[in-house]
Amino acid sequence: MRTVMMSLAASLLMTTAAPVFANDSVTEIAKDPAQWGMQLGQYDGSRYSKLDKINKDNVGDLQVAWTFSTGVLRGHEGSPLVVDNVMYVHTPFPNTVYALDLNEDGKILWKYQPQQNPDVIGVMCCDTVNRGVAYADGMVFLHQADTTLVALDAKTGEVKWSVQNGDPAKGETNTATVTIVKDKVLVGISGGEYGVRGHMTAYNIADGSMAWRAYSTGPDEDMLVDPEKTMVLGKPIGANSSLDSWEGDQWQIGGGTTWGWTTYDPELNLVYYGTGNPSTWNPSQRPGDNKWSMTIMARDPDTGMAKWFYQKTPHDEWDFDGVNENILADQEIDGQMRKILVNFDRNGFGYTLDRETGELLVAEKYDPQVNWATEVDMDKDSETYGRPQVVAEYSTEQNGEDTNTTGVCPAALGSKDQQPASYSPDTGLFYVPTNHVCMDYEPFRVSYAAGQPYVGATLSMFPAPDSHGGMGNFIAWDATKGEIKWSLPEQFSVWSGAMATAGGVVFYGTLEGYLKAVDAETGDELYKFKTPSGIIGNVFTYEHDGKQFVGVLSGIGGWAGIGLAAGLTNANDGLGAVGGYAALSDYTALGGQLTVFTVPE
Amino acid sequence: MKRFAATAAIALIAASAAFAQDTATTAATTADQAAAPATDATTSDAAPAADATTSDATATDAAPADAAPADTATADAATSDNPALTDTAADHNDGIRNFTAEDIPTFAIAADGTVDWPTFSGFRRYHAECHVCHGPDGEGSSYAPALKKSVMRLDYYDFVGIVAGGKQEVGQAQNQVMPAFGSNPNVMCYIDDIYTYLRARGTDAVPRGRPAKKETKTDAYDAAEASCMGF
Repeated sequence: MRTVMMSLAASLLMTTAAPVFANDSVTEIAKDPAQWGMQLGQYDGSRYSKLDKINKDNVGDLQVAWTFSTGVLRGHEGSPLVVDNVMYVHTPFPNTVYALDLNEDGKILWKYQPQQNPDVIGVMCCDTVNRGVAYADGMVFLHQADTTLVALDAKTGEVKWSVQNGDPAKGETNTATVTIVKDKVLVGISGGEYGVRGHMTAYNIADGSMAWRAYSTGPDEDMLVDPEKTMVLGKPIGANSSLDSWEGDQWQIGGGTTWGWTTYDPELNLVYYGTGNPSTWNPSQRPGDNKWSMTIMARDPDTGMAKWFYQKTPHDEWDFDGVNENILADQEIDGQMRKILVNFDRNGFGYTLDRETGELLVAEKYDPQVNWATEVDMDKDSETYGRPQVVAEYSTEQNGEDTNTTGVCPAALGSKDQQPASYSPDTGLFYVPTNHVCMDYEPFRVSYAAGQPYVGATLSMFPAPDSHGGMGNFIAWDATKGEIKWSLPEQFSVWSGAMATAGGVVFYGTLEGYLKAVDAETGDELYKFKTPSGIIGNVFTYEHDGKQFVGVLSGIGGWAGIGLAAGLTNANDGLGAVGGYAALSDYTALGGQLTVFTVPE
Repeated sequence: MKRFAATAAIALIAASAAFAQDTATTAATTADQAAAPATDATTSDAAPAADATTSDATATDAAPADAAPADTATADAATSDNPALTDTAADHNDGIRNFTAEDIPTFAIAADGTVDWPTFSGFRRYHAECHVCHGPDGEGSSYAPALKKSVMRLDYYDFVGIVAGGKQEVGQAQNQVMPAFGSNPNVMCYIDDIYTYLRARGTDAVPRGRPAKKETKTDAYDAAEASCMGF
C-alpha cells in the first residue's frame, strides 16, 4: 500500500511540478502511531502519541518488557527511534548507534561506532550528551560530538556520506539531534561557553552538500535576514540589526549557538528554533542587546531566509540560554483559533506567539518563584514592547562586575533546560518538566582564547527558597491563558522529556531514576518504577505485534549530573536544610540502559 | 591587548610543562621558580608557540601513568611520606600570596573566617572554569573527580602540569578527558589561586559555598593580575 501511495505522490509531483513536499518518508512514519519516527514524535514537537492501549485505567499494571545496556556510562539524553520494526539506539560519546530488530527480541542488526578524537570531550560543556538520531529515506542521520554529520544506511549501518559542520579546536561541538525537512537536514552547533558564533546549517540529504547557513549574529547577509521583509514584533527588522547591537567585533565571539530542538510547520513552510546565550557570561563585556542571541527564529527551510525573530532576553545577564523547543499547536485564544507557538524559556517565562507572524500573545511566569523580571511588556505602543522588565536588585549588569548578585530565580539552569515538554490536543494542556533552582551570580572580566572556556562569571545554585525544598516541578500549563493548572513537586530537577498519550496518561522520568505515569487531567500519580540510573532521556512509545510499549533511556549526567551530584547548597543558609539539599549520588549512580515497559495481557 | 595576554599564557605553559616533567627528580630546585608570582613568567624568554606545544604533549603523555593511580581512593598512602602534601601552614608572604615553608602556595584563614584574597579569587575562578565538570565546591560530579580530594594526593607540580597539559583516560569503561588549559589566561593566571582554594576545601579550612568574608586585593596582586591578563 505504501508503495502505491509513494508512486502516486511521485506522479503527482511530476505532473504538477509542485515544490518538494515535507519529506515523504518522515511524514508517512509520523502518521503511523505504531512508530516513533523523530525525537519529538511529530514535526510540531508535541511529543504526543495517539496510542491508547496503555491508558489511565491499566497503566498501574505496567511491567518491564525488556532492557538493553548501551555500554556507555555518561549522561543519556534524547530517545531511540522506532521505524519499520527496527529500533535505533544512540549513546553519548563515543556516539555509538545500535539497530535492534524488534522482530527478533532486540537482536543487534548492526552497530556503528564512529572514530572521534577524544579531545572533543574536554571542550564539551556539561557532559558528553547526545540527543539522538533522525531518520529519512532509508537513512539514519547522526550528528556526532565532533560535529561530523553522518548519513548511515538504515539497513546496514554503512556510512553513505559524512560532512564536518564545525571545528572542535575552536570549541565547536555538538549535542543536538538533527531535523529532516523535505530534502534537507538541519543542523545546529554548541559552544556558547567557548565564544562560538552560532549558526543553523542545512545540508542536502542526498549527498551532504551544504544548502544554506544562517548565522545568529553579524551582517544581514550572514544571518539570512531581509531588512524589509523579516519581521520583529510586527515591524521590519531593518538594516544591520545585529551589528548595531554589539560593541565592536564582540559578535564574532558572541555565542548565540543553536543546540536545541527544531520544529516545523509544513503548511506555513517555516522551521522554528532558538539561539543561545551571548558570550561571555559577564554582561559588562558586551554592551548592547546582543542580537540575535536568545531569539526564537522562524525561517523558510528551502532558502534559510528569516520570516520573523523574537528576542526573549535582550542583553542576557544570567545565562538564560534561549534554545528551548518551540511547540506548535492550534488553540483558541479570545474566541479565535490561532496557530500558536509555545516556548518555555530558560528565563522562566512561558511564551505563546502567533507562529505565522511572530506576534506575542501571552508571556507569563511558569514558575511563581521567577523574580529577575516583573513581567514582559505587552503594550504594543510602548517603547519596551516585548521586553522583560528587569528588577534592578537581580540585574548582574546593574550591580556590576565583581559584585555577587544573590537570590536570582531561576538559576542559569533555567526554569526549564533542553528537556522537551509535551502537548496533548485531548486536554489542551502542555506538560512541562521544570527546574526549581535559584542562584547567586558574580560576573568578572575574562580574556578570550580560541578553543578555551570563555565564561566570565561564577555562580552557586540552590533549591528555590521558601518553597517545598525540592529542585523541580512537573507542571501542566494552559498556554492560552499563561496559567499553571497543576504542579507536582519533585525532589530534583525534572530533566527528562515528557510524553502525553491518547490514553490520558503523561509520562516523565526523574533524576533518581523513576519512570512516572500521571493522569493527564489531574496529575495524580498512576505508576512509578525505579530504573537502574537517573533519567535525563525522553520517554517514547511504539507498537509492535499489536502491543503498545513505553521506553526511556536511563543514564545520569548532563548539567544536572554536574550540579546535583554533590548536592547544592546555599552559603547564605544555615545547616540542617531539608531534603532538597541531598546529593543525587545518594540515590543513583552512573549507567546507560534502555528500559521498555508494557502492560501484560 | 589580547595578544599580550596570549604571550604571557604561552610563557606560563612552557614553565608549567617544565615543572611537570621535572617533578620526579628535581622538585626541590624547581620550587624556587614555582614560588615566583605568575607574572614573572612574562619576563622569561617568550617560548615559541611550537615549543610550548611540544612540551605540552610530553606533559600529557606523562600524566596518565603518574596521575592515574593517584586519582583512585587507594593512593592515600602516598600522602604520608611527602610533607608538602600535608603542610598547608602559611610560612611567608610575598605581598601577593602566602606560601608554605616548602614554598608551595597556600591559604590563610583568619580566626573570624576571613579568607585571603587569592583564595577567594580561587573560589571565583574555580566556579567559572572548573565546576562545569568538577562540580560545585570541588565536590566532584557524576563523571569528574572531586578536586578537593585530588589536591591532597597530587603535589603542586603535578596539579599544575595536569591543568596546563590536560589528561585522558579513554577506554572501554570510561571516557574521561581533561582539556589542556595551558593557553587559557583565565585559568593559568589564577592557577595558584585555584590551587589554594582547593587545598582550603580539601582540609575543610573553608566550608562549601562562597566564603563569607575576604581580605581586599593588594596592589601587588592587582598589578600582577593586570599584567598576566593583559587588562
